[in-house]
Amino acid sequence: MMQPVSRRAFLKGTAAAGGTLAASRFLFETLDTVAGADALALGPVEDRVFTTCWIGKQDCGMTARRIDGRVVKFEGMAGHPRNDGTLCPKGQAQIISIYDPNRVKTPLIRTNAKGVSGEWREASWDEALQVVADEVNRVRAEDPSLVLWQKGRSKSEALYDNAFIKALGSSKLGHGAYCSDTGYRALEYTLGLHGVLNPDLLSTRYLLAWGWNITNAGGNKFCWITWPRQMLEAREKGLRIVHIDPRLRAAGPFADQWLPIRPSTDLALALALCNQLIAQGYLDRPYLTRYTNAPYLVGEDGMILKETTGDDQEIALVWDIASGSARPATEAAEPALEGGYDIDGSTYRTAFDLFKEHVNGYTPEWAGEVCGVDASLIRQIASEFGDNARIGATTVIDGVEVPYRPVGIMAYHMAQQELGFQALRAMTMVTMLVGAPGAVGGQLSDSTWKIHKNYAAFEDLAVNDPPYDFMLKGSKYFPINTGFPGMVAKVMQDPARYGVEKLPKVAILHYVNPVLAFPSQPDFLASYTKFEHMTVISPWMSETADLFADVVLPAATIEKYEGPLSAGDGYIDARVLRLPPMDPLFESRGEIDIYLDLAEKIGVLGGEGGYIEHINSELGLTDTSFALPDGARPDVRDIFDRWAKAQGLSGIDYFETNGIWVKGPVPPTSAYGYVTDPPFGGVVHRLYGESLLKAGRLMEEKGAEEIYYQDYLPFPTWRQPTMDSSPEEYDLYLISYKLVEHKQSRTTLIPLLTELSGKQRIDVNPATARRLAISDGDEVVVESHNAVTGETRSLTTVASLTDGIRPDVVGMPHHFGSWSHPASRDLGPTPNEVFFTGEGYMGQTADASFQVKVRIFRRGDRA
Amino acid sequence: MTRYAMAVDLNRCQGCRACVEACKIENNTPNAVFWMHVFRLEEGEFPNTKMTFLPRPCQHCNNAPCVKVCPVGARYKREDGLVLTDFDRCIGCRYCEVACPYGVNFFNWRNPEEAWGEYQIPFDDPDLASVTGGAVPPYKNPDHDVRHGPEQRLTSGSAHFKGVMEKCTFCVHRVEQGMLPACVDTCPVQALRFGDVEDEDSPISRFLRDKESFQLLEELGTDPSVVYVGGNPPSSHAREIERPLTGV
Amino acid sequence: MTVAHSRVNEPLPQGVGRLSRRWFLVVGLATAGTAIGVVGWLVEHEQGMVATGMRDVGTMGGATWGLYISMVVYFVGVSFAGITVAALIRLFNLEHLKGVARMAELLTVVALLLGALAIVVDLGQPLRGLVNLFRYARPQSPFFGTFSLVVSGYLFSSLVYLYLTSRPDAARLAAKPSKLQPLYRVWAAGYEDTPDQRARDRRVTFWLALAILPLLIVAHSSLGFVFGLQVGRPGWFGTLQAPAFVVLAGVSGIGHLIVLAALVRRVLHEEHRIGMEVFTWLGRFLMLLLFVYLYFVVVEIFTAIYQPTVNEQRIGDALLTGEYAPVFWGSVAALALPAVGLAWMAVTRRWRIGWMVAFGALVNLGAIGKRFLIVAPSQTHGQLLPYPVGTYTPSLVEYAVVLGLFSLGALLIAGFMKLFPIVEMEEAAP
Ligand SMILES: Nc1nc2c(c(=O)[nH]1)N[C@H]1C(S)=C(S)[C@@H](COP(=O)(O)OP(=O)(O)OC[C@H]3O[C@@H](n4cnc5c(=O)[nH]c(N)nc54)[C@H](O)[C@@H]3O)O[C@H]1N2
Ligand SMILES: Nc1nc2c(c(=O)[nH]1)N[C@H]1C(S)=C(S)[C@@H](COP(=O)(O)OP(=O)(O)OC[C@H]3O[C@@H](n4cnc5c(=O)[nH]c(N)nc54)[C@H](O)[C@@H]3O)O[C@H]1N2
Ligand code: SF4
Ligand code: SF4
Ligand code: SF4
Ligand code: SF4
Ligand code: SF4
Ligand SMILES: [Mo]
Repeated sequence: MMQPVSRRAFLKGTAAAGGTLAASRFLFETLDTVAGADALALGPVEDRVFTTCWIGKQDCGMTARRIDGRVVKFEGMAGHPRNDGTLCPKGQAQIISIYDPNRVKTPLIRTNAKGVSGEWREASWDEALQVVADEVNRVRAEDPSLVLWQKGRSKSEALYDNAFIKALGSSKLGHGAYCSDTGYRALEYTLGLHGVLNPDLLSTRYLLAWGWNITNAGGNKFCWITWPRQMLEAREKGLRIVHIDPRLRAAGPFADQWLPIRPSTDLALALALCNQLIAQGYLDRPYLTRYTNAPYLVGEDGMILKETTGDDQEIALVWDIASGSARPATEAAEPALEGGYDIDGSTYRTAFDLFKEHVNGYTPEWAGEVCGVDASLIRQIASEFGDNARIGATTVIDGVEVPYRPVGIMAYHMAQQELGFQALRAMTMVTMLVGAPGAVGGQLSDSTWKIHKNYAAFEDLAVNDPPYDFMLKGSKYFPINTGFPGMVAKVMQDPARYGVEKLPKVAILHYVNPVLAFPSQPDFLASYTKFEHMTVISPWMSETADLFADVVLPAATIEKYEGPLSAGDGYIDARVLRLPPMDPLFESRGEIDIYLDLAEKIGVLGGEGGYIEHINSELGLTDTSFALPDGARPDVRDIFDRWAKAQGLSGIDYFETNGIWVKGPVPPTSAYGYVTDPPFGGVVHRLYGESLLKAGRLMEEKGAEEIYYQDYLPFPTWRQPTMDSSPEEYDLYLISYKLVEHKQSRTTLIPLLTELSGKQRIDVNPATARRLAISDGDEVVVESHNAVTGETRSLTTVASLTDGIRPDVVGMPHHFGSWSHPASRDLGPTPNEVFFTGEGYMGQTADASFQVKVRIFRRGDRA
Repeated sequence: MTRYAMAVDLNRCQGCRACVEACKIENNTPNAVFWMHVFRLEEGEFPNTKMTFLPRPCQHCNNAPCVKVCPVGARYKREDGLVLTDFDRCIGCRYCEVACPYGVNFFNWRNPEEAWGEYQIPFDDPDLASVTGGAVPPYKNPDHDVRHGPEQRLTSGSAHFKGVMEKCTFCVHRVEQGMLPACVDTCPVQALRFGDVEDEDSPISRFLRDKESFQLLEELGTDPSVVYVGGNPPSSHAREIERPLTGV
Repeated sequence: MTVAHSRVNEPLPQGVGRLSRRWFLVVGLATAGTAIGVVGWLVEHEQGMVATGMRDVGTMGGATWGLYISMVVYFVGVSFAGITVAALIRLFNLEHLKGVARMAELLTVVALLLGALAIVVDLGQPLRGLVNLFRYARPQSPFFGTFSLVVSGYLFSSLVYLYLTSRPDAARLAAKPSKLQPLYRVWAAGYEDTPDQRARDRRVTFWLALAILPLLIVAHSSLGFVFGLQVGRPGWFGTLQAPAFVVLAGVSGIGHLIVLAALVRRVLHEEHRIGMEVFTWLGRFLMLLLFVYLYFVVVEIFTAIYQPTVNEQRIGDALLTGEYAPVFWGSVAALALPAVGLAWMAVTRRWRIGWMVAFGALVNLGAIGKRFLIVAPSQTHGQLLPYPVGTYTPSLVEYAVVLGLFSLGALLIAGFMKLFPIVEMEEAAP
């Protein structure tokens, strides 16, 4: 999509550059480039090499312009499906942080007590790794699962998320519970897909941008650039965007319709939309009947009527109109979608019948009240959604006829609320009613329809008795459990309360900064001191490392090999590797090198079940001629060279010369669920959540409090979020969001970005400000209240007035609050200081919520 | 003959400020200097609020007040439309800045070496210098030590001398190599376009063909080389939100 | 032969050549002030102009022209008044005002020098400036008008003027044996004040005076245009810049002249040659100019209230009620009070030198304030794009430099007074 001129120019440019430089040397005797005076005599050598963005989560392709091997600029990689020749501000700005002397330069070993800002002594890699290895081995001998590997965003899943963990036999804790794993769980449960909601953007005509921070963040899957580009392309073809968000800033000029919803009420809105779609008759009956459990017969006990086959497989029954009898869903000629039927004395109703009844009370008027928006808008949106769905229409793509439903929902951080799991389920149902999942222009969740193992696992949710492991897997609290650092922090503070006996003893933190990035900071401060040993692998002294690390291992930033990474945009499939544009600065090393060395020191590098064996299997090299030989510590470039060859490429040089491996377009038969083989990967979409009901009942039996089981219900069911029972002086909702200039907490140390973003602030509606006698730029105190524990927390920041936010809502970007870098200090606090975690402030699947009731007042106005 | 111009597509701009960042890095402008600035504007009252984004490089006016007032001809207009500053000739009277209606001029108030202080990153760190040869900033672009154009004047890049005026150069050093300006090149959604408007079928001419467009402060008769497509000129009620850190 | 008439062994007139304690005190203070200014400027030169309160117009929300440019406008204004008075005296041969003629000429020269210096200290690259301003001079630039034309052209002519009109006295002094005699010989340069020489000089000075007046108008209008021509600066473009400039210039100059005349009258006991009639004349003139200028101010206020555009409205508010209100109303008062005071004296015909000196000083404060208000607000509040409203407060460095300029002025005048009679000597009786 780059302008033709620039492509041509790009080549010309590099060539011409040499010329100009020559000229310059002729003009001035003193041309101060980096190369010392002697090197100058020969003149600077300019070249360009490929690499990938180190900051963002979509790993945009980049070319690094180098002068005498020194990178002077990153530019987008032309032809890359995700960012084709372009970069966002973060992609541009990362150059300054590579050269940041404030990076951790050498391995560091703590010399003072933990829990306070660290004092360190520099150590050799050999010494530091030995310390870590000894600690790990000490605890592994006792119980390997007490070694905890905690990660944030990781870039070589195969090599460390999986291979390294398996080699150690350690526990793994991800960041997903703070990201959008609830959404993943909801979609795995409902459609069997591992992803959250995103539309077939290029073909959709009507989009509910549901808490999609279009102009700042990525939404589902991507980091930023890719979807905004597709959104604009679609918009130029007539896409209309309904922006459902308490803030206008997210969609900004691209909101054709803004629905400023009250935070955490999205479930109510989704239910009202279902109510209206049914009331207005927008139903794709064939889809519902054939591909969902809507026609399943449900008894009064809420259980689905099943019969057991010979090989005692349970098969759900439906009412077959043709034969006028209950028959296995797989065999019924004409299943009834609606109605109640008497079968051997007891009445059964179809799941859909129950759903209709369930959403009957969720009228637009009701939802209008709950969501603080006007009912007519909800009605209007429902009918526009229904109309645009063109139920029954089909279209032909590459010779394949596919149902055409150009309506969809983009929702990601809607997962980040107390009712997130059921909200995401309800949103999915909105699209299911019109048959949009897997249709052209309709609802997708990923670019493929591979069925995730959780779909089957969730059919029968384990609810065991204590004792539980420290992540509460299979517990009576969270039968569906994402693995929630916040909950682990709670457990570590009071294991008995949760029936936990063994706590993790050694932690290795990779690319994660819980103290700053995760709610709630106080819980991490209280729990992370309990680790007997913590090693942090990071280029920076993260706040978590500053307070709790015993050892800090300096990771390289962009100057390292990583991958393999996906580079597709949902329509084109591609893969890349991160290639180092220069040698690691200072004494830092790439993670893979670090893990190889660590594995060697720990003694799990080679041999049966060793790191190398796992790398081979994770990269699919096992039993190929490219498999890494056991024993010898492999060279990282060689690992990826073998992987590349195993893909049928010439080797890693393919990436060094071409930058990216574009595999080609995603075929409709894998993109659209209706036409995959079998359709929708062969799963039945769960409108009715029987296993949730079962789990809920078990939880209650086993004595879990209501707050845990109340949302384990077969249909998404509205209740007032817990935070709403805070006293009414806490009259505002605090929400948080991302700025286009920053990436989580990891970029506030990049002064070039803070220069663009400004410092921390809190968005306040002018009407609210007037009421509270607050004016733009005033210092305000934000005090949050925990409706369960009664605890209050507060922070101080600066008011920023905007008419782009609801009067009953205040918002803060979450990136700030760092103190461990001179440039990131004094930028203001992170909202994670005042958010809560744990009961009432997390979802039923053990995921964070990012909303809390607060009151704000001018600093000094109140004691 | 060639006449360069820039087109800004307000229907596409995301207000992301990647252009601003690319400019700062490409041209090595120090802290608080924004040759490119992107306004994030808000109008109206909740819930009838409207938002707009407005990128603002130097307009490279064809009837440029800044050029008219320069007492020494350091600010000059080139045949190809670029309005440049001769860093060797400028006496730092700041008259061009006073005369410019668009607020795009940035004066070197500080010694270039010290101008980087606010970033709080010690570029002179010995361990770093061993890699960068002590370049300030470490990503220093050597193209700016070169004289440009047939007139061979020192016109590209930033922070050359204390007390001298600077502004957007339309990336003369890139354009002369046939490359796009850094901001245009990086724009993630192609909201910026650049090229020769004399050439009938240059990408920019084709883009502008039969499209509504306007110039900023048209009424002043400065005849900018930057044209805006889609949207309207900023209304006088527009409020700027999310300002960058602009102080020195 | 006139020489024959000369009486020998007499001390030089008007304390020339004799250094009193009082004189040393004055010069000491002035030197100190000048030194402070020099230090201020060195600091500015060392740190860069970040040492001033000025900042970029636009995102930085500053004013890129500030106190210095205000002083340029102000000083050039003062010089204007000086030369006008002098020229009028010569042209219409106003005998009773002869006493202040040379003062006026001196004031012109000094003020112009200070104006020129004020420009130099405002340049980011002063040394380049001194070269390039002439090497690459562009007449099209109004700046060229103010600097090269006003300052150099006009400085030159007023020097010539001062020189010619001082030659007769130089000749007289050259005739006396004194330690400064050699100087006067050179000064007189063969001029012996013979009737025909005198006649020739009269003629030359007459034509020069005649020539200076239009040059003056051009110069000052062009100074007005520095601002008036800027389409992009609401508050500047199209306003009555040029006329207002000239009138206020007169005000500040006459003000100075009154103060200077009063001082000299006192110090040198020149009561009869700088008689009351000098002050009444200056007083009336000042009053006249003040009322004309106050008329402009009224117009200004009304236009500020009923502004066509939002931007001009913003500036208007800043002036009348906003950030600049104190300076604005302060200046207006500093100009209005003297106007009233002078009117009162004119009506009652009771002229009080003491009061007039106070008024003279006051109107100059007012003038500086008004110059400042022309320069700053249109930059901080005159943005046409939606930039934040800016602010400008001069820094200590700027104040120091301005103090230095005034001190230097005092130094020059004090110095002149010890080298040459500042009041024209009477012609020897025939
Ligand atoms: N620039 C930038 N881009 C990023 C990231 C980054 O840090 N910076 N992070 C990346 C990552 S890891 C992720 S997960 C994605 C996240 O991508 P998004 O989810 O699109 O980004 P967020 O800012 O988290 O979106 C939150 C939006 O939901 C709104 N919101 C908050 N509470 C509610 C609510 O209760 N109801 C509704 N309807 N809306 C609500 C907020 O106002 C905000 O606009 O972004 C990715 N891209
Ligand atoms: N209030 C609020 N909180 C949020 C969010 C929100 O919207 N609101 N968003 C949430 C979301 S979506 C997510 S995904 C999480 C993300 O949270 P995290 O994954 O913790 O992201 P960061 O805060 O950037 O922490 C990454 C840390 O890794 C280290 N690091 C940086 N680069 C590298 C590297 O190259 N190698 C290694 N080994 N380490 C590196 C740095 O120390 C950095 O602090 O934050 C969540 N937090
Ligand atoms: S979008 Fe994300 S990955 Fe792409 S350049 Fe920006 S930060 Fe890097
Ligand atoms: S880079 Fe493009 S989209 Fe981003 S602000 Fe600049 S012009 Fe707008
Ligand atoms: S925008 Fe300002 S600086 Fe640029 S050409 Fe026009 S007048 Fe000159
Ligand atoms: S600052 Fe430099 S470029 Fe601007 S007018 Fe003065 S001399 Fe010319
Ligand atoms: S054209 Fe070049 S100099 Fe001008 S704004 Fe864009 S990047 Fe900066
Ligand atoms: Mo995330």
